[in-house]
Amino acid sequence: MNSSPITTPIIIPASAALRSIVMPGLLALTMVICGMIAPVPAAATDQQDAATAVVEALISDVEALLEVKDASMDDRRSAITALLDAHFAMDTIAAFSTGPYWRAATPEERDEYKRVFREVLVSTILGNFDQLYGLEYTAGKATPKGDRFVVVSGIFADTTGARPQVAVNWRVITRKGKPIKLFDIEIENLSLLVTQQQENVAVIRKNKGRFSALIDVIRDRIPAQ
Amino acid sequence: MLGNGMMNRQRYMPGDSLSGDKAIPAAFAPDQGSVAGDSRANHAPSVNRLATKAAIVGMACLMAACSTTPPDERTDERDTFENANRSIYDFNMKADTYVLEPAADLYRSSVPEGGQRAVDQHLRWAAMPSTAINSTLQGKFENAGLATLNFLVNGLTLGFADLTNDEDTIEQEDFGQTLAAYKTPQGPYVMMPLLGPRTGRALAGNVVDFAMNPLRVFGSGKEVRALRQAQAPVGAVSFRAKTFDAFNEVKYNAIDPYARTRSFYYQTRLGLLEDRVTGASTTSEDAFEFLFDE
Repeated sequence: MNSSPITTPIIIPASAALRSIVMPGLLALTMVICGMIAPVPAAATDQQDAATAVVEALISDVEALLEVKDASMDDRRSAITALLDAHFAMDTIAAFSTGPYWRAATPEERDEYKRVFREVLVSTILGNFDQLYGLEYTAGKATPKGDRFVVVSGIFADTTGARPQVAVNWRVITRKGKPIKLFDIEIENLSLLVTQQQENVAVIRKNKGRFSALIDVIRDRIPAQ
Repeated sequence: MLGNGMMNRQRYMPGDSLSGDKAIPAAFAPDQGSVAGDSRANHAPSVNRLATKAAIVGMACLMAACSTTPPDERTDERDTFENANRSIYDFNMKADTYVLEPAADLYRSSVPEGGQRAVDQHLRWAAMPSTAINSTLQGKFENAGLATLNFLVNGLTLGFADLTNDEDTIEQEDFGQTLAAYKTPQGPYVMMPLLGPRTGRALAGNVVDFAMNPLRVFGSGKEVRALRQAQAPVGAVSFRAKTFDAFNEVKYNAIDPYARTRSFYYQTRLGLLEDRVTGASTTSEDAFEFLFDE
C-alpha cells in the first residue's frame, strides 16, 4: 500500500462535539479497517469510484498512523496536518465555513483565518486521538449529488462493542479539473461543516459583521503548546 | 442509540433517550414532546408540574411580552426572538450546571449499563403510541404497524425489556412532524425554559403528544402515577448522561454554544421531518451553491 507516513485525516470536524454526540467518548473519526487496505486507483475516471477511493485512502492512512504507537506529540501533529492537507479541501472548507463573509474578508484575514482554523482542528483531533482506536469502518454506497459532489456513506463500529455504531456520510468535492477531496462529514444527519458555518456566521454577526472578531475568538481556542 | 446491537433499531436523534412525548429539560435536548405525567390527584409539587409551568410561562413571555429581535440584530434570520431565546438559554445552562449535569454524571457512573438501557427502552416504548398514531396520520402505515407491534409486545414489561425481534427501524414520529406533513408553518424558533429548543409548530405538537403517553391514558394507581411522574426527570438525566461529553463540548468549548445548539436542532429536526434514515444525507445541495458562484 502506498502510505505516506502520515496522511490520515480524520476528519474535518471543526467541531469535536458532533463526534461525541453519536459515540459517547468518541471524539474523532478514524477507523481501523480490519485487514483491509484499499489502494488508491492511479486514475479514477468515474466520479463515484474516485470519491470512494478518497475515503478508502483516508481510512488506510489513518490505520497507518494508528499503528505508530510511540509517536511524539509533535510527530502526530505533523502527521495529522499532512493528512488534512492530503485528503481534505481545506481552502474550500475554510471559505464555506464563514458563509457570505468570506468574500468581504481581506486576503490577510483569509490567510489568518485559515491558519487558526487549521490549528484548532489539528489540536482537537490530537486531543482526542486515542478515541480512534478500536473503530472499524464499513463502506456503503456512493451517491452523486450533481456534478460537484459525491456523498459516500459508511458505518463506524466499535470492535469492542462498547460504543454504538455510527452512520457517516462523507461529502467529496468532485469538480472537473480540480483535485478530488473530502469536504464535509455528516454524522447521523448532522453536517459538521454546516454546523460550523452557522456558528461562525453567528459570531461575525454578533460582532457587527467584523470578520476579525471570528479570528480572535478562534485564536483564543488554540491551546498552548 | 443507534441500535445498540438491538434487533429493533429505532431512529432518533443522536443522544436521544427517545421518548416522543416526554420533555427532556435541557437546553440542548432535542424535541421530545411535552412534559410527562401530571396527576391531578397528586397535590405535591413535582418536577413535571414545574416544567409545565415553566413552559407555559416561557411561551407567554415570548409570545406576548417579548418583542421580536430586529432582523439586523439576529444571527439567524429564523430566530425571531433571539435576544429572549439567548437569555433563556443562559438560564437553562445554569440549571444544567447546578442540577442536570451533576445528576447525569452520577447516573452514568453509578447506574449499571443494563439499567441505563432499560430506562432508554422504556422511554422509547412510551413514545410508540405517538409514533403509531402520527405515522398513520402521515400515511406511513408500515411504520405505524411496527410501532404498534412494538408497543403491544413490549407492554408486557412496560418497555423496560425489548422483547421484539424485528430488524426494521422504527422512525420516530410526533405530532409536530404530522403538522409539518400537512404544511403547517414552522413558526418561530423558541428556547423554552428547561425544555430546550423548539419551533412553534413542534411545541404545539408536544402538547398533543403529551396526551398520548400510554401511562397517562391506560395507567392508574399509585405506582403508575409515580412512574409517569418520573419519566420526564429520569428521561432528562438519561439523555444528558448519554450525551455527556458532547453536551459539555458544546457548552464549554463552542465559540457560540447557543448558535451551535440552534444549528443542531434545525438539522436534526429536518432529518426527522424528511424521514432521513440513518446514513442518508440531510444537507441540502443548495447549502453549497454559493461556493461555486464566481
